[in-house]
Amino acid sequence: VRLFKQAGRQDKKALIIGIDGVPYTLIKEYLDKGYLPHLKGIVGHGHEIHQMNASIPDISSVSWTTFATGVNPAEHGIYGFTALRPHTYSLTFPNATDVQAPPFWNILGKVVEGMASSFAARYGNKVSKPLRSIILNIPHTYPAYPVNGILISGFVAIDLQQAIFPASIYDYLQGIGYRVDVDAQKAHHDKDAFLQDLFDCFAIRQEAVRHFFHQEPWDLFMACITETDRLQHFFIDAALDDGHPYHQAFERFYRELDAFMDTMVADFRERYGEDGFVMILSDHGFTTITQEVYVNTFLQEAGFLKLSTEGQFYERIGEGTRAFDMDPGRIYLNYKDRYPRGCVDKKEGDRLRKEITEALRSLKDPAGTSVIDRIFTREEIYRGPLADQAPDLVCLPKDGYDLKGKLNSDGVFGRTVFSGMHTWHDALCITPQGITWDEKPSIEDLADVIMRYFTDEQKTR
Amino acid sequence: MDHLSVLENNSIFIIREAYYRFKNIAMLWSVGKDSTTLLWLCRKAFFGHIPFPIIHIDTSYKFPEMYQFRDERAQEWGLNLIVGRNEEKLKEGMGPTKGSKLECCGELKTNALKQVIKKYNLRAILLGIRRDEHGIRAKERYFSPRDAQFKWDYENQPAELWDQYKSTVYEEEHFRIHPLLHFTELDVWHYVQREGLPVVKLYFSKEGKRYRSIGCAPCCSPIESQAQTVDDIVEELKATKTSERAGRAQDKEDAYTMQKLRALGYM
Repeated sequence: VRLFKQAGRQDKKALIIGIDGVPYTLIKEYLDKGYLPHLKGIVGHGHEIHQMNASIPDISSVSWTTFATGVNPAEHGIYGFTALRPHTYSLTFPNATDVQAPPFWNILGKVVEGMASSFAARYGNKVSKPLRSIILNIPHTYPAYPVNGILISGFVAIDLQQAIFPASIYDYLQGIGYRVDVDAQKAHHDKDAFLQDLFDCFAIRQEAVRHFFHQEPWDLFMACITETDRLQHFFIDAALDDGHPYHQAFERFYRELDAFMDTMVADFRERYGEDGFVMILSDHGFTTITQEVYVNTFLQEAGFLKLSTEGQFYERIGEGTRAFDMDPGRIYLNYKDRYPRGCVDKKEGDRLRKEITEALRSLKDPAGTSVIDRIFTREEIYRGPLADQAPDLVCLPKDGYDLKGKLNSDGVFGRTVFSGMHTWHDALCITPQGITWDEKPSIEDLADVIMRYFTDEQKTR
Repeated sequence: MDHLSVLENNSIFIIREAYYRFKNIAMLWSVGKDSTTLLWLCRKAFFGHIPFPIIHIDTSYKFPEMYQFRDERAQEWGLNLIVGRNEEKLKEGMGPTKGSKLECCGELKTNALKQVIKKYNLRAILLGIRRDEHGIRAKERYFSPRDAQFKWDYENQPAELWDQYKSTVYEEEHFRIHPLLHFTELDVWHYVQREGLPVVKLYFSKEGKRYRSIGCAPCCSPIESQAQTVDDIVEELKATKTSERAGRAQDKEDAYTMQKLRALGYM
């Protein structure tokens, strides 16, 4: 036990950069091609890059919440961008107020207030003095909640005034024209205007990041760049195709990102030397879409789902429905005791899950390729008090098959304006050298690494 | 002077002031209780003969009871009624189920109003909004400038001290004038009660439900209520803790979130 601060020992400082949706394999390829000279310097200089698994499902709200809380969805309660209100088919959009576990920055800041989790229990009493954090643009932190420091919410944020803590930073952000997100709707009709918007948004984001980095005191600084994800939804096919009309723009974006990360890390090292902790991570990977797969249409054709024309979205679920899907591959059984028009008996659950699993495994696209890679039952992947809200099955597709929960498509397969889809297995993290895991790391493991740095705890798992 | 008379006098002062400053003015009437109260005040301000047109923005999705009420009052009170409709978009089939609700509001309400303002070259419009409706409306002024895009720069507003109102209007700009800003929801119902003002039937309970706020039929949902008269409503509001537009505000936030998610391929 260290009773006194060692003479000359600096306070601990950490810099974490989030790059939403940046795939490990793409970064590797770009490092080899020489597109990312600065990142090459960072990785070669005391840091290592690892391929990492995202959360399940591999979407930003779930993955970032898993990262922030260090626990799985059955503890933090977020399974997607959408959910149904208990005992109804009425659609709702969970936000930060629905997260049931504290983020690690509030454990560090000692402002956990009434929230508990297995992760908080492990580290709650190991933090000796409250540490100040600046948390910028992490998805699914809206509406902003009190932190010891500053929080600016990321996607989806409806109103900037509700997206900030404390309120006093509003004037600055409003003054620079800060925006939580690029207008992705633009990409649907004007790709060039969307790209311009993307670069503009990134520039304003960098300005805000630098402002808070330099003007505010902090122990932990974390900023997330979400433009990468937006870029890739519409242009991932341009990433490695030199002949693609948008290849240059894509590459230019990555070069700007490279320069941004370089300045951040260089400024950080200049201030805090080699003792500071640096981590860069993405929340999921990305790959090109071969086909969009409308799981509900498949369930309908296979006789598991009956839709009526009355009502909106999931209110259309009709009598006789046994299962339905929510974005991306979350399958819920229509249990009698869970939904108004439920017809599945608890006892039938396991048999029905087997039946659906078999049906999904045999699903092939028009070219004859099977679509589903893995199907998990909730018991396999979710552990915690909120497991009863989890989907009964979760499907992970093969790369190229983008699972969708849409309720109104004509066929099981289709293509739209989107060129990219998320992947589970191809997220990345860059950590200080020497950090190892027994198996491939998952985004759930990273909060532990950060807390170990701040608390000097030894590895426990 | 009693509370309601003070409110009434303030409003009438603002209405007359607005008409004096801008001759090219009109009043926006949604047929709801607030703008019907405003209409009543305008009649009082000019002794029964309102010297400017009354605009109703018709999305074509209003309740039948609202159209009936509008036409009856227009005749009874001799109103110069302008009905604004975005005919082009209506022909294309725009509605809350086609595209998003946001788009629908944008085309059938906002753009329809833009068209009317342009057509009649209006420099100012009177509206029945109130400060207690929504947090952001607390920042409103009685005389509130809007640019050509309808944008409200609420951080750069003229101060309104000692009943002095800024009314210099730039080309392309127009003013929103809010004579009812200082009323609360309860004040409005007290006033309706005192004046014996007619309101649309939808506000009164039918089979245990009534509308607390009315607009387009597909986007409004009634609340549980037994209030069948204005007196009942006043009593109900004294006891309530939920906000008037709770249902509508949540709908709007959800519509926003849905649009954002859809733009990225969800839903």
